Amino acid sequence: MISQALILLGDYLLFFNQIIQRAQKSWGQREEICEKALQVIKESLLTTVFAGFFVGAIMTLQFTMQVQMFDAMSYLGALVTSATVREVGPLLIAFLLSGKIGAFTSAELGTMKVSEQIDAIRCLGADPLKEVILPRFLGIIIASFFLLSFGLLFSFLGGVLMASSFSGLPWEQYLTHIPTIVSRFSVISGGVKCLIFSTVIATICTYRGYQVLGGAREVGEGVVQAATQTMIALVLADWVSSFILEGIANA
Amino acid sequence: MIEFRQVTKSFGPRTILNKLDLKIPASQIVFVLGMSGTGKSVLLKNIVGLLKPDSGELIVDGYPVHQMSEMEMMNVRKICGMVFQQPALFDFLSVFENVAYGLRRHFQLNENEIGDKVKEALELVGLPGVESKMPHELSYGMKKRVSLARTVALKPKILLFDEPTTGLDPISTNRVNELILSLSKNLGTTSLVVSHDMESALSVADHIVMLEAGRLVCQGSPQEMKESSIPLVKNFLSEVTQ
Repeated sequence: MISQALILLGDYLLFFNQIIQRAQKSWGQREEICEKALQVIKESLLTTVFAGFFVGAIMTLQFTMQVQMFDAMSYLGALVTSATVREVGPLLIAFLLSGKIGAFTSAELGTMKVSEQIDAIRCLGADPLKEVILPRFLGIIIASFFLLSFGLLFSFLGGVLMASSFSGLPWEQYLTHIPTIVSRFSVISGGVKCLIFSTVIATICTYRGYQVLGGAREVGEGVVQAATQTMIALVLADWVSSFILEGIANA
Repeated sequence: MIEFRQVTKSFGPRTILNKLDLKIPASQIVFVLGMSGTGKSVLLKNIVGLLKPDSGELIVDGYPVHQMSEMEMMNVRKICGMVFQQPALFDFLSVFENVAYGLRRHFQLNENEIGDKVKEALELVGLPGVESKMPHELSYGMKKRVSLARTVALKPKILLFDEPTTGLDPISTNRVNELILSLSKNLGTTSLVVSHDMESALSVADHIVMLEAGRLVCQGSPQEMKESSIPLVKNFLSEVTQ
C-alpha cells in the first residue's frame, strides 16, 4: 500500500517535472493557453460565483450566532472575511472546481488516450505533453486562480448581503473592523493558497487523464480517481500551506 | 526495410512477442494475420516507437529503433505512417486540420501548399469536399478514410495499417483494400497490414505472415498460403471459403 503510494507520487512528480520543462518554452503557445483558460472560465464562472456567494452567506449566518452571544456584532464582517479569505473560501471553491474542471479534463484526456488520439499525435511527429497537456495545464491554472479570486470576491459580497438582510447589521458596520483583523498578509495568504490549489487541480486531473489505459470503464475509473485524489491533495495542500504561512507570519 | 531480430515484448507476466524473427521486404504489401492477442498490433507499435522491445533488435529503414530516444524517433515517424485500429481523429479539430496536423509539424509549408496537400490526400481516399466537417459529422467508414488521408498526406515510405477493415461494411472494405493496393503501387510504399481478414489478404497482399503466441508460424505468397497444410492457416482459409 505504502510502496504503491510512493510509486504513484514518484510518477506524478516525474510527470509534473516534464510539464514544467515544457512550460519554460511555452511562449509560442500563449494563444492556445489563453483560449483554454477562457474556455474554462466561461464554463465555470457562474457556478463559482454562485458557490462563492453562498460560502460568504453561510459563514455570516454561522458567525452571527457566535458573535451575538458575546455582543460583538461589529466584528462579524472581520471574522467572516478573515476565515473566508484565509481558509474556507479557497478550499470550498477549489473542491467545486476540482469536480467541474478536474472531472471534465481527466475524462477528455482519458478518452483521447483510449481512442488512440494521443498515440496518433506521437506518430504524426508531435509531443502530446506539449501539444495537448501543457495548454490545458496552464489554462486550468490561470482560469482556476482567476475563478478562485472571483469566488472570494463574491463570498465577501455574500457576507455583506447576508449580514445586512439577515443579521440586521448595516454594511458600514460590517466593514468597520475588516482592516483590523484582515491584514495584508491574510489576503496574500489567500492568494497563495488559490495558486497552490489551482496547480493541484491542474496537475492531478491532467496526470490522471493521461495515465488512462484500456476502455470506457478505465476512463470512468480515471475520472473518479482524479476527483478523489484532487480532494485529498487539496486538504493536504491546505494543511501544509497553512502551517508554512503561519510560520512566515509569526517569524 | 523492416527487420525484427529476436524481438521480445512482455506486459507483466504475459509475453506478447516471443523472440520474433521477421523480415518485411521493401515496396511490398505484407499482411500479418493471427488470432486476437497474438501480438499483431504490438508489432506495429514497436515499429513506430509507441512501445519499446524488452530485448532483441528492430531495424526500420536502417534505423535501430530499439535503442532510439523519443526525440530520435521523430526521424522514423517521418518515413513511417500509421493508420490506427480506431480512426483516432482529433475530435476538437476539423477534417482539414486533422489532415494538416502532421504536415504542419514535419514540413515547412505555407497555408496554400498545406491546403493543396490536404485536398490531394482527401481526393486520394475518395472524400473530396469534407474539409470543413468535424469528425462527429462523419460515418465510421469516412472517419477511417480521413485517418488514412492524414497518414498518406505525409507521403511516408512505410505505411502501417492496424486492422484497417475492422468494423467496415463489405463495400467500404473493398474500397480500403483498393486504396492500400493503389497507394502501395502509386507511391511505392512498403505496406504492413495487421488483420484478421484472410480474404483481403489473399486479394491484396504480396506476402502473408502468420503469427501465433508472438512467434512466426509461417509466411509466403497468397498462393503458398492457399496450399499450406498448417492448421492455423487452414482455419483462416476455411473462414474465407465459408
